[in-house]
Amino acid sequence: MDEYTIMYLSISGILIFIVIAGYGAYGAFAPLIIVLAILAMLVILLLNYADFVIFPVITQVLGIKVLLWKDYMVPKTENCVIKYTKGLYYAQGYLSANIYNYIFAAENINQEEDAGIISGADKWERIVMSIDFPFKFNVVSLAEELQKHREELEGRRGFLQFQMSREMSSGNPNTLTIQDMQKKINIIQARIDRISAGERPVKTIMYIETVAVGVSEKEATDNLTNQLNKLITVFNSFDLSIMRVTGREMHILNKLNYRIMDFDLLNRQFQLQK
Amino acid sequence: MALNLQLLLFVVLVGAGIVVAVFIYVIPSPVISPILAIITLIIAVFAFATKYYTYLMVPALKMKGRTIVLSADEPFIIAPNNTAILMHEGQEVYASAFVKIPLYRSATEMSNDEKLDFARLFSRMTTLSKIPVKISSQMHVINKDEYITSIRNKLNEAQERYATLGAKPGGSKASNDRIKGEVTMWKNLMDNVSASQAHALTIYAMVSAMGGNEEEALTIVNQQAEDFAAGVSAIFGVSAYVVKGIELLTFIEPDHMIPVETVTERLKEKATEEAL
Repeated sequence: MDEYTIMYLSISGILIFIVIAGYGAYGAFAPLIIVLAILAMLVILLLNYADFVIFPVITQVLGIKVLLWKDYMVPKTENCVIKYTKGLYYAQGYLSANIYNYIFAAENINQEEDAGIISGADKWERIVMSIDFPFKFNVVSLAEELQKHREELEGRRGFLQFQMSREMSSGNPNTLTIQDMQKKINIIQARIDRISAGERPVKTIMYIETVAVGVSEKEATDNLTNQLNKLITVFNSFDLSIMRVTGREMHILNKLNYRIMDFDLLNRQFQLQK
Repeated sequence: MALNLQLLLFVVLVGAGIVVAVFIYVIPSPVISPILAIITLIIAVFAFATKYYTYLMVPALKMKGRTIVLSADEPFIIAPNNTAILMHEGQEVYASAFVKIPLYRSATEMSNDEKLDFARLFSRMTTLSKIPVKISSQMHVINKDEYITSIRNKLNEAQERYATLGAKPGGSKASNDRIKGEVTMWKNLMDNVSASQAHALTIYAMVSAMGGNEEEALTIVNQQAEDFAAGVSAIFGVSAYVVKGIELLTFIEPDHMIPVETVTERLKEKATEEAL
């Protein structure tokens, strides 16, 4: 959880706490206000962790559409962007593409990684050959400051080593905690080794986009859903966790077609990317 | 700018929430206090929602019917020098340029070592820039609009000649048959061309820059794009170049990823088949 989220959650939480603390003033309505306050906190947590679920529900219930730009409309289902031009409807849809972070792979750099890279090229070609509709695989990348990143990793490793030695020297050391810390240290060490071997650290955000066409809005959105389902199936051959992007995050990804925003801001806003 | 507005709205809502909440304690009435409490709770939810939804909140206040209008303008304009697109957001101007990376190597013709090298070169490309870069591999429908339009014009012309000749009394049967054959030929060609779609795979990179005015943003982004193109060219040994003119739209507009004329005939046929 980043510092912005902590700030927003804690200040909104304080407001709710002030309401709960005044329960003596509500008379017979006190239980109702307490229930509403808990509900408000739940809504806030939902907005924080799963707004891609709650926002489309609100737009669907209220029947709200969003006009992003001229000719670009987001329907109330909030799962695609529709452009109407020259008598045709174009539906744009997005999928998040997260790489599975296997602990054993992150801890050790071994020969299997090379095998994965080699098979990756073949898999990619098979995917391209099996798809007969337009799509884009996008990677937004930003090279990190090498020295700064290395120092950050070494700092984190030092802190974990200190915590581990404190745990080990305590009267009753917890084996599970020590093992967990050792794993974390191994992961950081593997990263430091990679940098020492010449790899440059890079921040990335990956997503897939596709466009479907139809003579009606429904046809275009139905075609889009079929295309997205096919993309999910074929990209499963890579170690990717793929999810359809809806709501606010879809608006952001659509904007990325026209300009790239500040990476940290993008990272904060595009929550489906882990 | 967006972050400032977000923080401002958050502070205003939190301030309003605190003021309302204070009244709960100042006027401890069993009727008014619950109402004030509910208002405070609503404000608390809205205050948190500013974290993600500031861009929708202000336009939502001016909502007409059930449509929130974020912008009624075109999303971008092509820069006068045709090398980038420009996007206006408040006082700021964003320019984005596209670098085409002509990589036409297939994995099937590479050895394992070559595949590894290629992957390493590709990951080196992602570390080229200290500003965010979007690298995309795009499959789009090849534009056959012009070809289809020319065939359609020829078909229409032949059909018109056939109709005129048929209506004319005493026309020769031979010339009638010849024009009929011509109509059939163009019709068959039209069906063949529009029946199938050809796809192209393109790799490109996109860079963006912000400026106080269009010239400033354009100058920065052109420089960044040229730098990136030079870096990619050096890594892969290909001639990466900054995309100019109408080619830009293939990477941005959905109707250029699937060109209108190229798919129209196929969609018409599909609709007719479904109707039948």
